[in-house]
Amino acid sequence: MISVSGVRKSFGAATVLNGVDLEIRQGEVVSVLGSSGSGKSTLIRCINGLEKIDAGKITVDGFDVSKPRELSEARKRSGTVFQLFNLYPHMTAVQNIALAPVEVLKVPRRQAEDEARELLRSVGLSERAEAYPSQLSGGQRQRVGICRALAMKPSYLLLDEVTSALDPEMTSEVLSILAALAKTGTTMVFVTHEIEFARSISTRIAFLDKGQLIADLPTAEFFSDKGMALPRVAQFLSKMRKD
Amino acid sequence: MCRLKFDLSILAKHIPFLLEGAWLTLQACTLAVIGSLVLGLAVGAMRTSASPLLNRLAAVYVDIFRNIPFIVQLFFFYFGLPEIGIYIDAFTTGVVALSVAGGAFTSDVIRSGILAIDPGIIEAAQVSGLRKSTIFRKIILPIALRASVRPLGSVFINLILTSSILSTITLNELTGSAKIVASNTFRPFEVYFVLLVAYAALTYAVSIIIGMLHRYLNRNQSEGAV
Repeated sequence: MISVSGVRKSFGAATVLNGVDLEIRQGEVVSVLGSSGSGKSTLIRCINGLEKIDAGKITVDGFDVSKPRELSEARKRSGTVFQLFNLYPHMTAVQNIALAPVEVLKVPRRQAEDEARELLRSVGLSERAEAYPSQLSGGQRQRVGICRALAMKPSYLLLDEVTSALDPEMTSEVLSILAALAKTGTTMVFVTHEIEFARSISTRIAFLDKGQLIADLPTAEFFSDKGMALPRVAQFLSKMRKD
Repeated sequence: MCRLKFDLSILAKHIPFLLEGAWLTLQACTLAVIGSLVLGLAVGAMRTSASPLLNRLAAVYVDIFRNIPFIVQLFFFYFGLPEIGIYIDAFTTGVVALSVAGGAFTSDVIRSGILAIDPGIIEAAQVSGLRKSTIFRKIILPIALRASVRPLGSVFINLILTSSILSTITLNELTGSAKIVASNTFRPFEVYFVLLVAYAALTYAVSIIIGMLHRYLNRNQSEGAV
């Protein structure tokens, strides 16, 4: 379980997270929605320890991410996929994916690379295993990014606006992979602007507004009168649908 | 009319002596390039580390050795240190002085190579659970070095040119031997002409190697990498 309780985070004078509580249990797909600047990405970056929180507590399977000793255990349990892919430019797709399993989990290199190829096959990239990131399209890079996160066999997958840098065609190729993952029961925290997609794969929707979680509802309820009863949510949904 | 004709053949019998000098230059430069690269990597890493102490130490080193003429550093090591009981032979002094001075410039190049890396790439490595030392060896260093090959080449060419100053501490490398031949033959024009060509050839060869190395290391990065 990922447990976020009373988390506050400021950058200088700007308060980005203002007392957030959220629990994500094994098997859930939780989409985090909210307008730009609502703190969605920061929440993910606090869970994987890239940002230090100012107050509150975040644990991943009981490991406190604010304690350096426990952070490494917490990180072994979660995988992150980034908006801008962040692949290692000097390594091939296979090397990108196999690096952490070899270095962190001490999987033999041969085995790790075989598993990497298998992952690439599952996202339709077996032909591009030896390609470098600069030789791949955006959608292909993001699929490699997803494989890299999955290679560590994480209990939780953290997805930070993973389609925001992609065109609609590439977006759909990435989303179809995520949909397949959701079906297999992979636990996901999905920060996104793809509302309809979030609706189709999520078990729960968390809605952030100005650093506060103003809704945390099962998907069906969120998109029903119950969600619409919250003025901020109604406003957000109508605006996003118009676009 | 000019009484002396330009005649390189009179240098023929001095060629083995000049080659000995060239060999010494090559040895000193090779060792100094290795030395400054090792120092530069260590200091470049210190300057980009999170520790304020390491950072400060590294900055002081770079400031000192970049802001003092090389000949003054060299004289201090070779003529100054014996006064307090430290004797080092000319060759070792030369290599150490070149490495230390070159290391300051090398570290600056490597530091900017490290700072140019997209922070997102390092974050991806951090969240995947890699240790700091692994991230440095497998991610930061290879990317920074690829970007730094050309500027490092300039630093190393400068180092080769600077090595001529080692002749001032009795080290008969290429320039030192040329001076001796010039004063023995009274043909400074021919001797220094040969010297000029020799240095140009040496540094030109280095710049060609650097260019090849750059293309080789960046062979897969050409197509508009993000």
